[in-house]
This record gives sequence, C-alpha cells and structure tokens, in this order.
Amino acid sequence: MEIVLQALANGIVSGSLLAVPALGFSAIFAVLRYPNFAIGSLATVGAYAAWSANTAFGAPVLVAIGAGAAVAGLTGIALEAVALDRLGRGGPLMKAIGSLAAAMILENVVRFGFGNDLHAFDLPLARDVMVGPVRVGPQQLAGLAVALAVMAAVWAFLSLTSLGRSMRAVADNPDLARLKGVSPRLVSLVTVFVGAALCGIGGTLVGLDASLDPLVGGRILLSVFAAAVVGGLDSIPGAVAGAFLIGIAEEFTVLALAPAYRLAVSFAVIFLVLSFRPAGILGRAAR
Amino acid sequence: MLTYVLFALVVGSIYALLAQSLMLSWGLAGLVNLGLAGFFALGAYASATSTTWGHVPVPVGIALAVVAAAAAGFVVCVSTLRLRDDYLAIVTLGFAEVVRIVASNEVWLTGGTDGISGVPVLVPRSAGLGFHAGTLAIVAVAVAIVYALQRRLLLSPWGRALRAIREDQIVAAVAGKSVVRFKAEAFCLACAIAGLAGALYGHYTSYVAPDQFQPLVSIYIFLAVTAGGKARPAGPVVGAYALVAFLEATRFAGELIPGVSPVQAAALREILVGLGLLVVLGLRPEGLLPERSQKAPAP
Amino acid sequence: MTFLDRRRVLQAGAVLAGALAAPALLRAQSGPIRLGTLTPLTGAGGSYGPAMATTVRRAADEINKAGGVLGRELLIISEDDQTSPEAGLRAIRKLIDVDKVSAVIGTWASSVTTAVAPVCWESGTFLATVSGADSITLLPHRGYLIRTQPNTTLQGRKFGGFALEIGAKTVAFVSPQTPFSDSQYAELGKTVEAGGGRTTKLIYDDKKTTLRTEVDAVLRGKPDAIVMGGYTNDTAILVRDLYRANYKGRLLGFGFAINKQLVEALPAEVSEGILTLSPSAAEGSDGYKHVARLLGTDSPDPYSCQVYDHLNLVALAMAAGRGDTGTVIKDTVRTVSQGGGERVDSAVEGLKRLAAGAKVDYDGASGPCDFTPIGDITDSRFRYEEVKGGRITLLKIA
Repeated sequence: MEIVLQALANGIVSGSLLAVPALGFSAIFAVLRYPNFAIGSLATVGAYAAWSANTAFGAPVLVAIGAGAAVAGLTGIALEAVALDRLGRGGPLMKAIGSLAAAMILENVVRFGFGNDLHAFDLPLARDVMVGPVRVGPQQLAGLAVALAVMAAVWAFLSLTSLGRSMRAVADNPDLARLKGVSPRLVSLVTVFVGAALCGIGGTLVGLDASLDPLVGGRILLSVFAAAVVGGLDSIPGAVAGAFLIGIAEEFTVLALAPAYRLAVSFAVIFLVLSFRPAGILGRAAR
Repeated sequence: MLTYVLFALVVGSIYALLAQSLMLSWGLAGLVNLGLAGFFALGAYASATSTTWGHVPVPVGIALAVVAAAAAGFVVCVSTLRLRDDYLAIVTLGFAEVVRIVASNEVWLTGGTDGISGVPVLVPRSAGLGFHAGTLAIVAVAVAIVYALQRRLLLSPWGRALRAIREDQIVAAVAGKSVVRFKAEAFCLACAIAGLAGALYGHYTSYVAPDQFQPLVSIYIFLAVTAGGKARPAGPVVGAYALVAFLEATRFAGELIPGVSPVQAAALREILVGLGLLVVLGLRPEGLLPERSQKAPAP
Repeated sequence: MTFLDRRRVLQAGAVLAGALAAPALLRAQSGPIRLGTLTPLTGAGGSYGPAMATTVRRAADEINKAGGVLGRELLIISEDDQTSPEAGLRAIRKLIDVDKVSAVIGTWASSVTTAVAPVCWESGTFLATVSGADSITLLPHRGYLIRTQPNTTLQGRKFGGFALEIGAKTVAFVSPQTPFSDSQYAELGKTVEAGGGRTTKLIYDDKKTTLRTEVDAVLRGKPDAIVMGGYTNDTAILVRDLYRANYKGRLLGFGFAINKQLVEALPAEVSEGILTLSPSAAEGSDGYKHVARLLGTDSPDPYSCQVYDHLNLVALAMAAGRGDTGTVIKDTVRTVSQGGGERVDSAVEGLKRLAAGAKVDYDGASGPCDFTPIGDITDSRFRYEEVKGGRITLLKIA
C-alpha cells in the first residue's frame, strides 16, 4: 500500500512539472489553432536562461525562474513574428512543421552557445522527509508549489483580466471576437508569450529537479503532448488534468510493467482516451 | 569519390521513397505523419528479422515489411481519423517513439540496442562499386514504380476524391464520399511505402538498430517534401535528392568557417537544416514543383 | 561548331581529367596524412564527443610540432555521427571517399560502430573505437578494427569484485538499456554470487527526468551497493534521487559516467563517496597526465584517454610500416603496441625512437594497449577512484 501511495505522490509531483508546459502548449493551440512542436526547445531555452541568471549573476531561484519565463516568452514571440506567423497562410499544419524546424534551430543555438556539457543550478540538495508513509522532497514540494501557483496565476489571468477574457473569446470563436473589437494579432502575441513563458518555467523546474543539457526540453516533449492530447488539446483545465494523469501513469508503469515502457504507456493512455472520449477528458467535440 | 556519390544516391533514393510516402498521406490526403521514422523502422525490422533469422528469401522479407507497415498504419490511424488532423500528428509522433522503445527493449524479438547485423544484401558486397551501383538500380526502380503508381492514382477517381476530401471533407462527405475510408486507405498505402523504404535500407547497410530511426529522420523528410512540392509525384523525389545534396554540402560548409569547435560546427549544420526548412516554407510553401490545377473531367 | 570537333573535346577532357587527378595523386604522396574522427557531437552521446574530437586535434598538433609522421603533417577531419548509425554512415562515407582518410578514430555508440565497420574493412580504412558491445570485435573485420574499451565480461567481473571488496552482500545493478547491460549484469551476478552475495537488476528509461519511483523499487531490495550502468546525464539524475532517498550504501559507476562533468554538476555532498572504475595504464605511466595536460583538466574522461591512444597508435604504426594507408596501420599496429621494445607513452617520443631504429611498445593513457587477434585489449589494469570533496581522487591502480 505504501508503495502505491509513494508512486502516487511521485506521479503528482512529476505531473505538476508536466502541467506547466502542457498549459502553455494548450493555450497556444486554443488561440492560434496549431500544435507548437517547439515547446520542448522553448523549455530548454528557458532553463538555460534561468540557469545563467542563477549561476552567472547569482539570482535567487524565484528570480531565475522569472528570467527563464521572460526569455522563453520573448523567444516564442520572436519565432512567431519572424517565422511562424507568415506560414499561417498555408494552414495550421504548415505552422506546426515550421515549429518543428524552429525547435531544431533553438536546440542547436543553445548547443552552440553552451556546449553539450551537463550543468546544474547552484543549489544544495535537500534530503527527503517522511510525511506519514510517504517520502517527499522539500524541493519537489517547492516545485509543486511553484507549478500550482503558476496554474492559479494563469487561471486568474484568463478569468479576471480583460486581455485574458479576450484570449478566451478568440479561442471560443475568433470571428465573434473580432466583431467585438478584440485585436486578434495582439491576442495571438500575448498568448504566444504566455505559452512560451510557461514552457520556460516548465523547463526550469525540470532543470532545478534534475540537471540541464541541450536535450532537457526534448525529454519531456512527448509526455507534454500526451498530457495535452488526453486533456483535449485546447482545454486549459484539461491540460492540467491530463498532465497529472500522464505523470501518475508513468510512475505506475515503473511498478506494474517495466520502467523503460513509460512513454509507451503514455500513448496507450492516449489511445484509450481517444477511443472512448474522442475530444479528450475536457476538450470540445471534434470539428 | 564515385562510391560516395553512388552511396549518396542510394540514400537519396531511400529518402525519396519516404518522401513519396509523406506526399501521399500529407500532400494528397492532408494527413500529417510525424511518425514516418517509426514505419520506416517497422519495415526495416520486419524484413531484417525474417531474412536474417527466419532465412526467408529477401523478396519475401520485403513483402512482409510492406504488409507490416501498412497494418501498423491501419492501427495507428483508425482511432484518430475521425478526429481533427492535429491528433494524428501527435499520435504518430508517439508511435515512432514506441517503436523505438520496443525495438530497444524486446531483445528476443529485435536484438535490442545491439541491433541486427549481417542482414542479407540485394547485391553481393564483394562486387565493390557494383554493390552500390546494383543496389542503386534496384532502389531507383522502386522509386520509379511508386512514382508511376502515384501518377496513375492521382488521375484516378480515387485520387480526385482524396483531394476533394483534403480541400473540404464536409463537402466531400455530402457528395457521398466515405471520408474515413479514403483517408485510411491513403494512410495505409503511404505507410506501406515507408515500410518498403525501411526494408531496402536494411538490405543495403546490412544493419538495423533502434538508433537509426530517430525523429530527426522524419524532420528531414518533411524538409524534402516541402522543398520539392507535396502534391505532385515528382515533387518528393526531386526534394529528396536535393535534401541529401544539401545535407552533404553543409558538411563542407562547416569546414570553411574558421574558429569554431567541432561541436559548434555540428550545431551550425543542424541550424542550417532548420533554417532551410523555414525559408522554403516561408518563401515557397508549394515547393519547387507546385500542384497543377486539374481540369474537371468532361461531363 | 567546326573548330570543336569531337576529338578535340575528348582531348581537352583528358587533359582536364589529368589536371584534376594530378594534384590528388601528388596529395596522396606528399601532402598531409589525413585522419578522421567520428564522434557524437549532437544527440544522446553529445556530452562525450566534443572532448574526444578536441583531444585528437591537440595530440595531432603536438605530433606535427615535433615534425609529423614520415615527415608529413597529420590533418584531422572531424565529423559528427549525431549518435545515429544512419547519420554516422553518411559521415564516414564522406571521410573515406572524399577526404581519403586512412583511419577513423573514436566511434562511440556501439550501433554506430557496427554500422560503419563494414565500410571500413571493405575500403581498407582502419577503425579505432571506444564502443563496448561484445559483438563488435566478433564482426568479420579482418584486422581493420581495434577497440580500447574493455569488453563487458571483464568490466562486469571487475565491478563484482569491487563490490565484494567493499563488503557488499546485496548488489543492485541499475542501468538503462544498452548493448552491454545484459552481459555485464550476467558477469556481475556470477562474481557476486561466487563471493556469497546476491544481485538484482533494474532497467530504466534514460530519457526520464526523475527516477524517484525507480529508486524506491531498487531500495526495497535493501542493497549494500548499487552498480550504475548508465552514462553521465542519466546517472546524474539517479545519483540525485538516491541521495534524496537517504540511501546510505555505496555507489559504483563507470569512469565514463562519473566524470568531471557529473561531479561539477552535483553538490559535493551528493557525489561524496561514489566509486568508479575505468581502464588504466600501469602506475607511473605518463599518458594519463599527458591527456590531462592536453585538455587542461585534472581528471580527463576515459574516452578522451582512449582516443589519445588511438591517434598515437595510428601514428606509430604508420611510421613503423613506412606507409600511410589503413592496410599498413592494420599490419603494423601490433608491432608498436605490444611484443616488447622500448616503452613509450606518447607518439612524439615513440616516433623519435622509431626513427633511431628502435622497436617500441606503446603503453597509453587508457592501458597497456595490447590487442588480441580480433582487436580486443588483452589486459587492462583499472583505475579505482573515489569522489571525495567534489574531486575524483585515485584510490589505486590494479
């Protein structure tokens, strides 16, 4: 029983780390209607920015996370403005393929600048403590707290600010939103910034928990996609629910099957969900 | 030098088959297959295991590869075709990763990360240049056959229906076309071509291992198809050979830049490939050979 | 077009072809001797390839400063195998057919080595590799391949012996899926069981960013020692999660995983006490320190040491065989690597002795570099090291 509880706790923690970039991916999908395959590289860029802020400039962790978010967000906007936006004429799939190319470029820009060597944040590592029968790490709890705070902030932004409400309006019905005087261009850029910044935060949280190299974002990419698809691709709460489901499923794979089959299980989950609920847990019906 | 050129042409022809596969699913049916590397792998493994360990003749192995890849294509697409196209893109990406995981871990079935070496060849390796030239002839014939088939398909009622579905599936459905069936047929056929490419690749290099089928291969093929033009049978073929020429040329470009370390030169190479794709997509999204508009058949 | 009849065109063509071919012939006789490195600069092996390529370049510079080989400079051409056999194959064809290298140094992933080896033996190009899979030296390579990485049987046995030596009775083997994880575990198990202990195994996914549940599963077996079979990036995650889980037993890992990068990326108290094994030359050999000087570090990684040896062996073999082809290297490499003679630990030193008419026996940075007929090293001592206070410190060489 403890074993199951422990895996559940581990799954919740890793699910929370997936949830942040999954939110970013789903936000971009909901408003701009294309799957952005550069989210893994944006996470890497954010993680390296945060790491540079932390180790080169001595920024405390929360400031470093902010720096990672800002740099990833700006990188996302630059990509959208310089390259991806103009591909939109060819349809959303052209943008998706363009984002794949952008991912390759970003990963190698990081490699060019920082090399392939392993890096880690300048932080002591805390031992885990027992909470009842379950072992939890103080730093993992901090990561979980940051992830939850970010999710809450995104929710507040979407429901309480006018820009956030515009984003939701465009996501729900772009034509209607335009009639109401919402600038689609502004909303798109804000969404891309927020989405990319969320990816940057996600990458930084993974970098804080583990270590970083140019492939760090690529490692979580497929799990993030799985989370977003399970959640319904364009649903913000769906992405969060999907992330926790995938995170927990991956940890239970270690117990029940073989650790190497983690991603295979993620995709089995996708197949099951799509077969029984084609629109994802919380997504809208297929159009 | 001649060996190098022949080798690059064989690789270009394998890429051409993969590009033809993508042209059929993406260009004609609008189905984005990001898991091309997975079907490529499946074909390579089906033929390599059956010929190397099962000792069946190579043509039988190749036929098995085609069937296996088509069957896998059916399984992958059947649950997603009713959904938006984005789902298929992500599911196929995951499929390719699952193929790699299974190939790495099921040692009894695939030889694991060690791979399968000593796969039977199409032309004896002892023939030297003849080995490369002979293989090139076989692979080029395969490309030509697929090309001829695609031209016929494109002009057939089936091809017209497919393009009608790509343009507007609701209208096509109203016109009485079974959208899902057409899409599934196109996707399975495309996967079969990728499987054929995998089988031929394994029989050329005599070696099949999970690391060969990384997602990067799928990106390369997208670059080839976009560059060549994704809606005409000649487009992917031209694009694939151009891609191999471009990939090989970037090696020499890296040597010309002074003052960069080997790892920086390698990073620059991949940046160039990514930039190449973005530039082609941005400046000439329809590729070198754009789709010909077709006259409606005479009433 | 009367002034350009067919005969003249043919003549002009012949002249042109001759002019193009002539420099190529001249180059083959008197230009620099061309050698290739094929290491992973991108992809999963990317943390190792850059240092390997740099080591070979710097070592070649030293040889060139001392007068080169056979009076000619060494020219190193570095290609990236992208940690993929498909890309590796394209790269090596360019190295062999366009650059006309006589030897390729440094293939790392076993799959890449297996894919490129046939191209090497068919074209008469010498291949020196650091790949570990047992199957590699069993390929029909006709002598064109050597490897300096000890095979997994030997390594498994050494790890087993090391675990027993530090008093472990229950040993867990934790590794990603690699071509040698199975055979290494089998040998480790035999050795530990012969010493009265027992072993367990867990294969993890090396792309996972947290291994907490895996660590829980391993620790339920209450191992006294854990042998880690992964590479630097995934081992760093494993070590962190073991530390968080308050694991108090001993950790053992390959020298190529527990390297300077890993130690620098972990707080000192986390890496404290990790034990490592890597192939080594006898005590007192200067090769290891030489590589350290070349790379400007105090603990060079085992792969850099091995490619340093590859280059030196290739240079010495060409000088001893008085030729620059892969076949010459294949035929003479064992006359400079073993069989008695003056012991040398660098090519610069060895080339001087060879010029003076002596026979040399190269002992390198990674070991004595004596090879069996199929290209495996016959014997290796191992460096036993321990991480202390954030530094990798030598325990013994045995």
